[in-house]
Amino acid sequence: MHPTISYLKNKNLLWQASHTQSTDNGQHTGFKELDNALQGGFPEYGVIDIRSEIGIGELRLLLPSILTRQQQKQTELVTLIAPPMSINSEMLAEFGFALEQVMVVQPLLNKQVLWSAEQSLKSGCCHSVILWHASLSVTQVKRLQLAAEKGHCLLFIIRQPRQEHISLPVTLGIKLSPSKVGIRAQITKRKGSWSNNSFDVYMGAYWPELSRLEDTNVLAFPSRASRAG
Amino acid sequence: MQNIWLYLYFPNLQLDALLQQNPESNIHTQAYVILDEQTNQVCQLNHSAYQAGIRLGMGLGTAAMLNGDLQVIAYQQEMTKNRLNDIAHSLYLVTSDICFFNDNGLLLRVHNMLNLYGNLTSYWQVVQRQLSLQQVGFHYATGHSPLAARLLAITAWDQVTDNVGVIKKAIQNTPLQHTDITPKAVEKLQRVGIHTIQAVLNIPLADIAKRFDVEVATYIGKLTAQITHPVSFFHPKKSFNRVIELLYDIENIQILQGPLSQLLQSLEQFLKTRDLLTQTLVFTLSQRDEKSIELNIHSQQGEYLAKSWAVLISLKLENITLSAPVFAIRLIVENTYIRTPDKSDLFAGKQGRLSRLQLISLLQAKLGEEAVSTPTLTNDYRPEQTIQNSKRLIKSIQPFQLYALRPSFLLTPPQRLQEKVSIAYGPERIETGWWDAKPITRDYFIARNQLGQWYWVFKTPEDAWYLHGVFS
Repeated sequence: MHPTISYLKNKNLLWQASHTQSTDNGQHTGFKELDNALQGGFPEYGVIDIRSEIGIGELRLLLPSILTRQQQKQTELVTLIAPPMSINSEMLAEFGFALEQVMVVQPLLNKQVLWSAEQSLKSGCCHSVILWHASLSVTQVKRLQLAAEKGHCLLFIIRQPRQEHISLPVTLGIKLSPSKVGIRAQITKRKGSWSNNSFDVYMGAYWPELSRLEDTNVLAFPSRASRAG
Repeated sequence: MQNIWLYLYFPNLQLDALLQQNPESNIHTQAYVILDEQTNQVCQLNHSAYQAGIRLGMGLGTAAMLNGDLQVIAYQQEMTKNRLNDIAHSLYLVTSDICFFNDNGLLLRVHNMLNLYGNLTSYWQVVQRQLSLQQVGFHYATGHSPLAARLLAITAWDQVTDNVGVIKKAIQNTPLQHTDITPKAVEKLQRVGIHTIQAVLNIPLADIAKRFDVEVATYIGKLTAQITHPVSFFHPKKSFNRVIELLYDIENIQILQGPLSQLLQSLEQFLKTRDLLTQTLVFTLSQRDEKSIELNIHSQQGEYLAKSWAVLISLKLENITLSAPVFAIRLIVENTYIRTPDKSDLFAGKQGRLSRLQLISLLQAKLGEEAVSTPTLTNDYRPEQTIQNSKRLIKSIQPFQLYALRPSFLLTPPQRLQEKVSIAYGPERIETGWWDAKPITRDYFIARNQLGQWYWVFKTPEDAWYLHGVFS
């Protein structure tokens, strides 16, 4: 190898496509398939763009990792901004969340949503922020990204899967679609890596009732039974 | 130990207060007088007015003749008193015994402070430094009695000494007009050829009482410390209450920030010196010809720093509109409490810029108090009753039985099920609430629709199907 190339490689200025960086500080997501695809887990902080329909398990996919973060950083808050419906505290408590560390912000105006998100991110007293928001511009995402880095906070933006041509400067992009075993995910964007094919995430370990194994004969569901009969 | 009193005389309190509150006004260049409307006499004036020949006690007509561009402001006793109170508050930090005299003087008891400061010179240096912070013009003098100090200060003696001989000598040459003896009594004395204190002092006290008023005798007795002068000392108030009178009406919210931050600065000083924090500020913006606006600003975490409050105020001001110009701003802070330091981990790495309570205050100031909440639980089987939102971050008291398989989102109120779903789990019957007005009988199912969305649906005894939640 040319000495210049090896010198640049040692300096970390040159990067070979065959070499994928391993994420050291990745936080486990709680789902084996997702951890494998992300080579570790969610980043420590940054902006994660999640494109999903509502009600297919998109929030449940995040809950185990957020719960881990809450247990690691017990003085900090989880902030939910502009959820589409009222949050069911019973479900959060049942999953193990300390409710006094959860803050729900419901702004009346659309532009206040992003303002609240930015304030929460850069405050340094939130470890995770979940934001439900429809449209985002590149500059808005950049601002949120900077705020998230400042406050060492992880922002999840959950929005409808619509066709968009612009690529947002997010840390991680995931596209979700319904699946019988749990949820089908596809990594659309990730720093220092390529997008993979979509894969199924098995959620039966946490919610057996909301996950059907591939072999549906094992479980007898009322609907199935009635259809068969 | 001999008694030493220090008298501070503030001739232009109201003008000084106005200048301090409106720094960019033309008070130092233009001739300004304060007119006492009851007596129609000039009671305060600035240097330009003095140069124009205007003197204290002149009528408005004479004063206006001497200077055509004269600016006249009505005397406001309230404002003068407030200013004097502020000065007393500030002096209280360095000297213990302060007494108000009329509306324009402060009497300090010096001799018991000398143990602390050593000698009079170092004491006076400290007092002078404290006064210089207040940006106010004053005359001063020491005396062996309160009235002696007062008399010398009014005549602008401006000396500090504990030598009684020097003080007595200075008093002797003072004309009687400067004393607190009534003009009628002064006239009486002048008729018999007594023009200075010296002449009065030559007469024995008993003779004065016989020949003239008792008041004159008492005054002279107090002046020469033959009669003790009773004084009541000042005790600072615990609450903060301050008004800024604006020289110009303000119609723009942006310009309002200036005087507001001035108030906050003085609040910061007030709280810092007492090591106090507060959670609520009440601003009253007095509008001309309109009802005044009351602004309540809350902070979840106690604050004293002006800059933390300024952020909250600017967010609050975004939501208000002024219907008429503002001419005065009052800030009242009633409840304060002793600061307890936050315990934060020095080695935790990332140091948050805000505490969680500060963040909540920030969000509430902009979005309204209802917009920020924390989910809480109530011990009830009815899903609508179980969830409740609270404004503050409070810990649930009692842990109780929670049920698995509850959706992440609830529809409030439940909606009629409009689409075809297949049941995946259920039923789970909830029949409760017979004791109050909202009894329910429902069979809950978990269902999945054609698009793969997980629903929480229920069936009523009337066979009506409702969508109540979504498993996001």
